[in-house]
Amino acid sequence: MKITLSIQLLFLALIFLFNGCSDKLTRVMPYEKEHFADPKMSLSPLAERAEHEGHIFLIREASAGGDSAYQGGCGCR
Amino acid sequence: MKILLLLLTLAFTLNAAISEGDKAPNFTLKTLDGKKSQTLKDLQGNVVLVNLWASWCKGCKKEMPEFFKLQKAYKKGFKIVAVSVDDDASKAQKFLHSVEKHTGVNVPFITLHDSQKSVAKSYHCAAMPSSYLIDKNGMIKEIIVGSLNADDIKVLKREINQLK
Repeated sequence: MKITLSIQLLFLALIFLFNGCSDKLTRVMPYEKEHFADPKMSLSPLAERAEHEGHIFLIREASAGGDSAYQGGCGCR
Repeated sequence: MKILLLLLTLAFTLNAAISEGDKAPNFTLKTLDGKKSQTLKDLQGNVVLVNLWASWCKGCKKEMPEFFKLQKAYKKGFKIVAVSVDDDASKAQKFLHSVEKHTGVNVPFITLHDSQKSVAKSYHCAAMPSSYLIDKNGMIKEIIVGSLNADDIKVLKREINQLK
């Protein structure tokens, strides 16, 4: 019984240990974000183009105001 | 039970972050031009500000001219060690040259290159930029997360003067 318990506890400790390892392996640390910081990783790398596309979207979808904090997509602006 | 406690202690020790009052982990890195090596231990006896930065980090670029001014204010007893974590050292050099042009001052501090991110790892860098104020005995006195503006530098100067 004692052995079983100690094995269980050992497994528990190993889970703690390997959990720490996995976090270190999967988490992108702040100093590793060089490629994420690249301008081409931006959702809209060209500000002018994004603005133009947004304008076209609003016209085509008839959802004026749908992208701001006020005025919904009722088309009543 | 003893084994469990031992393993748990080990687990927490492995994940322990660095904090103020701890001994600053020593490092040896090449300079940005790759010509020389610099060890932190060699700077013992000086108050040292280790700054982890990168040319792709906006906050780091913003505070860099302030560090130029800060280092120029101290001829002796205080050294800034700017550790670049850029993959490519030339990007860091290019940025520093642009600051040189802008300020009209040559880089007045030690610039090192840490492409392996070994210093960032050993100092448990939580955000970019991060700076570590180290006293004459090699103990971390302050951990500064984020970029510093002119007002922050004034406060930092007071701390440096106290430590000198």
